[in-house]
Amino acid sequence: MPNQVLMIVILAAVLLLAAARFFPRLQLRTVLTLALLAVIGYFLLITVAEMPLFGKAVNPAHNEISLRYLEQGVAETGVINTVSGIITDYRAFDTLGEATVLFVAIAAVIATLKSH
Amino acid sequence: MEDQITRLTSRLVVPFIQVYGIYIILHGHLSPGGGFSGGAIFGASLVLMALAFNLSAGVKQISHQSASLMESGGALGYALVGLIALLWGGNYLANRAASFPLGRAGELFSGGAIPVITVFVGMKVASTMVTLFYNLIEGEAKVGDPEKPGA
Repeated sequence: MPNQVLMIVILAAVLLLAAARFFPRLQLRTVLTLALLAVIGYFLLITVAEMPLFGKAVNPAHNEISLRYLEQGVAETGVINTVSGIITDYRAFDTLGEATVLFVAIAAVIATLKSH
Repeated sequence: MEDQITRLTSRLVVPFIQVYGIYIILHGHLSPGGGFSGGAIFGASLVLMALAFNLSAGVKQISHQSASLMESGGALGYALVGLIALLWGGNYLANRAASFPLGRAGELFSGGAIPVITVFVGMKVASTMVTLFYNLIEGEAKVGDPEKPGA
């Protein structure tokens, strides 16, 4: 990992010098922005490469929670639509946040449009 | 829009859409659907009314005041159901733990707080759609026809 970081820094410095040499009208700020974006993009790509593969059995999404919902859901929530049981009972607080998002959105629309 | 076919068709279709939306909301705990989808269907029927006729005919269906009352009432009712659960000795928005009567699974009146929450969410989503549409259209109407110079 330190080798990679060092490599990135050296690469960025070389690119910076080359850009300053070949494009004299290029501003330092632009070059620095591009270099920063490249670094951020590099780390984002590393994160994507580390993500679990789609549909693999050992993924963290395949745990005991979905089994619990499917086996105990009807007894614990009293509804036969398990999706509804999840979103309005197990995760009712999350759905309240969702409703709040709608409320804030419509309040913002009214505040923006009614003022003109 | 001054189209006889559109007007007649939408006048015929709107009641069925509204009944369907209410059905989706009320059966949210029994069949696919729920507050969000049913509310969207119900709101779409009111939007269709305003589109096929004109804005004043749409506003006649549901006034701004009742729309905002539905909006706030839906959000408030949802939060109050959670507080009732707190009062009855459960966590916030608890259902069985707060001794809401669950009933027999599969019947219309079952699930404790879930149908109540679904109805509140449906109210809220329907009024959100309608309010958003009316406000955008009214902003357009107030600015005037952009094609017309000097308007």
